[in-house]
Amino acid sequence: MSSTTSTATDRVLPWEKPRTTAAGRHPHLVLAWSLDETERLGEAIAIDKTTCIGRGGPLADDPAPRATPLRMRPGTTSPCPPIACSRISRLQVIAEPKGPELIEVRSIGRAVMRINGRPTAVGEARVGDVIEFHNAAVYLVTNRPPILPPITGELVNAFPFGAPDPFGLVGESEAAWQLRAALAFAASTDRHVLLLGESGSGKELAARSIHGLSSRRSKMLVSRNAATMPHSLLDAELFGNVKNYPNPGMPERAGLIGEADGSTLFLDEIGDLPESHQVHLLRVLDAEGEYQRLGEAKPRRSSFRLVAATNRPLDALKHDFLARFTHRVFIPGLAERREDIPLLLGSILSRVAHKNPTIAAKFFERRANQIAEPRLAPDLVARLLRHSFTHHVRELDRLAWLAIGTAPSDYIGLTPAVEAELRDSEESVANVTKVPSEIDREAVERALAENDRSPSRAAKALGLKNRYVLLRLLKKFGLSAAGNEGDGSDGGDGGDSST
Amino acid sequence: MTIDPKSLRDSLETILAMDDAFPARFYSLLFERHPEVKKLFHRSSPTAQQKMFAQKICAIVDHVDDPAWLGRELHSLRENHDKYGVTPEMYPWVGEVLIETLREALGDAFSPELEANWREAYGAITNAVLG
Repeated sequence: MSSTTSTATDRVLPWEKPRTTAAGRHPHLVLAWSLDETERLGEAIAIDKTTCIGRGGPLADDPAPRATPLRMRPGTTSPCPPIACSRISRLQVIAEPKGPELIEVRSIGRAVMRINGRPTAVGEARVGDVIEFHNAAVYLVTNRPPILPPITGELVNAFPFGAPDPFGLVGESEAAWQLRAALAFAASTDRHVLLLGESGSGKELAARSIHGLSSRRSKMLVSRNAATMPHSLLDAELFGNVKNYPNPGMPERAGLIGEADGSTLFLDEIGDLPESHQVHLLRVLDAEGEYQRLGEAKPRRSSFRLVAATNRPLDALKHDFLARFTHRVFIPGLAERREDIPLLLGSILSRVAHKNPTIAAKFFERRANQIAEPRLAPDLVARLLRHSFTHHVRELDRLAWLAIGTAPSDYIGLTPAVEAELRDSEESVANVTKVPSEIDREAVERALAENDRSPSRAAKALGLKNRYVLLRLLKKFGLSAAGNEGDGSDGGDGGDSST
Repeated sequence: MTIDPKSLRDSLETILAMDDAFPARFYSLLFERHPEVKKLFHRSSPTAQQKMFAQKICAIVDHVDDPAWLGRELHSLRENHDKYGVTPEMYPWVGEVLIETLREALGDAFSPELEANWREAYGAITNAVLG
C-alpha cells in the first residue's frame, strides 16, 4: 500500500512491529577450520534453501544456487569471495534446510565428509553438529537470523572480522555481539553494573570493555578480587584509612573507592563479600559517592562507577545491595557461542606465539617473514566444538597449553592428554546432569550446613569432583550457598585474558 | 590443440584431495633439480609455501577458461615473481617439475593426452605471465 493511501488505522506503529528476531532464523554453516583459508574463520553460509557448496564460483551444471560465504555483523552482512580451499571440490556438497535447526547434507565432492566424526555421504545435521571435510574444512551448524540486529556505536567497524575487538573480546557470534551491545549500553549510562557469568566466561574483560567504552576511560581502571581481601581489612581496603588507624603502624591509604575517583572500580567475586560489608557499600553506591575513611569523621566523595562480577546465584547477594546495580549483564558461556571457539583458540595461540619464539618457530607457519597461522589439526577443533566447557575461555586456554605441551610433532592436535582431559571434564558435567539418587536437595542442604556453607568442603563431603559441580546442583535445586564466606580454594574468576 | 579445462580440474582435484604429498613433492623435486631456486623461498615456512602453491595452481586451473581473471591475476603473479627474483628461464624448469610431479601422483592415469593437455595449459599460462 502506498503512503498516500495509508490511514491511521492501517499504519504499523513502532511497538506493533515484531520484537524478536526469531522469525526468519535458519541454519548456517560457520567455518571453524580450514586448511588453506585460516583468515576466513567465522564466515557463515546460510542454508535457507537448497544450496550448492564448493570451491570457486557457480558452475553451469550446479543443481541449485551456489552458497556465498558471509561475514555477518550487526546490521550488515557482507558477501565474501567463493571458497578457495584447494581440497574442497568444485561441487562438494548440497545442503538442504529441513527446519530452523536441521539440514540435510549430501556430499558429492572428493573430500570425505564426516558428521560428528562419522563418515557419511548423506546425513542430517542439527544445530551444534560438526561437519568435517577431510583435511579441508570444518563447519559448525548454527542457527542465525538473516541479519544480526543492528547495534549503536562504532564498534561494528572498529576492528577486522574475526580479530579481537579493541578491548580484547573475541567473537563474531550473535551472542558475542549481543554482549558487546549490552556492555556498550551499560558503559554509556554511567550506572553501576553487575556482571553475571560462570567462572572463566570473561567477566574481567567485560569490565574492561565497559571502562574502555565509558567517559571514564582516560583514568586507570581500579580492579580487585573481593575474595582475596582479608575480611578484617575489608573496610580499610574499600574506604581507606588515616595513618595508624585502626591498627598502629598502618599507613594512610586512599582505599579502592578513593583510588577509583573519576574512574571505574571493578570488584570481581562480589558474591564472596560478606553481607555485613555489602551493607557498608550501600551508602557510597547511593549518596553520590559519599563515604568515610576509617578514622576520619569528615565525609569524602568519590565519583566512581562500580562494575561488580559474580559467578554465584543472585540470592548470594543482599537484595538491597543487588538493587543498587542498575544494569545486569549476563556473560554467555561457550555453549552459547560455540562458533567463537575457533576464533578464541586462534587468539589464544597467537598470543602464545608472539610471547614465545620457540613455540612460534615450532608450531606456526611463517609468511613474508611474519608469524602466520598455527599448524592446527582439524581433529582438535572438531572435538573442542563438541565439548561441554565448565570454565569456558579459561578452560580453552588451559586445553590449548596442554595441546602445545603434549604435541608429539610440529602441529597442535588432539593428543591423548587433551582427549583424557576433555573426557574427565565431561564426566564431571555428567555427574550433574545424572545426579546420583542419594544426592538430592536435602543431602546438598545438609552438606552445606555441616560444612559452614563452604561449597568446596560441601562438595568434597558429597563426593563431588569439585565445587563447580555443587554450584550446578545448587542451581538445579534452586538453592544458594549464601552466607558462606567462600574459601576460593578451587580457583576463582580473576585474570581472564580473552573472552 | 585446445586446452580441456575439465580434465585439468579433475586430475588436479584428485591429487589434492588425496594428501599433502603433491605440493611437498613438487618443491622437493624442484629443489633437487634446480637447487639455485631454493634461496628464493625464504620468506615463508615450507608448509605455508606448499599451501600457497596448491591454492594458486588450483585457482589458475579453475579459471583457465576465464581470460579476464587470468589477465588480472597473472599480471600480479608476474609482479610478485619479479620482486622475489624469479627469472624467465625458471618458468620452463617449474613446468617440467610440475609435469613430473603429476606423473608420479597419477601413475597410469596420467595418459599422454592428459600430459599434452597440461603442457599446453602450462605453456599458455607461462606466455600470459611473461607477456
